[in-house]
Amino acid sequence: MFEYINDHKIFKYGLNNYEMSRIAAKNCINFKADHEYEQVDSELISCYNCIYRRWKSKTIECMKNASKLI
Amino acid sequence: MKLYLSIDDTDDIESKGTGEIAEEIAEIIDENKIGKISAVTRHQLYIHDDIPYTSHNSSMCFEIDEVNEKDYDLIISLAENHLKKESSKLSDPGLCICDINKIDSKLLIEYGFKAKSEVLTKEYAYALAENQNIFLKEYGGTGDGIIGALAGIGLRLSGNDGRFKGKHKIKNGKYELEYLINNFKMDKIYDITTEKYLKNNSINLEGKIKTVLLDGKRVLPVFNENGNYYNCTKQQLRKY
Repeated sequence: MFEYINDHKIFKYGLNNYEMSRIAAKNCINFKADHEYEQVDSELISCYNCIYRRWKSKTIECMKNASKLI
Repeated sequence: MKLYLSIDDTDDIESKGTGEIAEEIAEIIDENKIGKISAVTRHQLYIHDDIPYTSHNSSMCFEIDEVNEKDYDLIISLAENHLKKESSKLSDPGLCICDINKIDSKLLIEYGFKAKSEVLTKEYAYALAENQNIFLKEYGGTGDGIIGALAGIGLRLSGNDGRFKGKHKIKNGKYELEYLINNFKMDKIYDITTEKYLKNNSINLEGKIKTVLLDGKRVLPVFNENGNYYNCTKQQLRKY
């Protein structure tokens, strides 16, 4: 779901792949919902709704220091 | 006086959100009975690697109407005290307050939309604020929050940007348009499919009911599916 690019943990599926975003979050022990007004997916458990994601121009980056890729 | 107040860059991943801080400032002003406050709107700014936002780069704004001129300094003081107290030590907070009847709104709106598509500088923001006699101040860190705080005012002023913070507490079900407008904080209902306002329809409400700022009004966006109207999902509201 994610790949490391220059030490940044980058979501491989871009800004609009809600299905993959939900699957990734369901498999992540670090998921934590962002404030309600910053959520963009109706399904709560989604990387797009996670407080540890950082929006980038073409995808999101996971800012949580995960020890391994999911 | 009618004031607009906007804040930006007050949080970090683990701290209280900028939206909560904005709402608390609004509550403090309301408790002091020095102005009639509106709901807080959230405005999306430019997503770009050169902008050091925490995670989403958004600013928060609300209106304060019926302000007596003698209370202007008190409002600034209450807002900055709360901002200083509640902002994360890791953040770069900015506060902007302006009397909308004393500014060139066209300039502010133009600046607001620029902040959605360009990387702007603090110098640019301060120059515009000084030119328009707008209160704009930073409170620690890099102070970059002033860029978004000023943009929040411009975007709110445009009447066509942002989502209202919070959600309406309405049970799932089918409601007449008139009932919704008369009983909840929404001015109009907008069909995103035809891009027209609805007049006499039934709306199916489900999940979180969110409103957006459109044509200067608090609007419930809906979509049509097989002849029935439904409130928009978060995915559909993302563009606002």
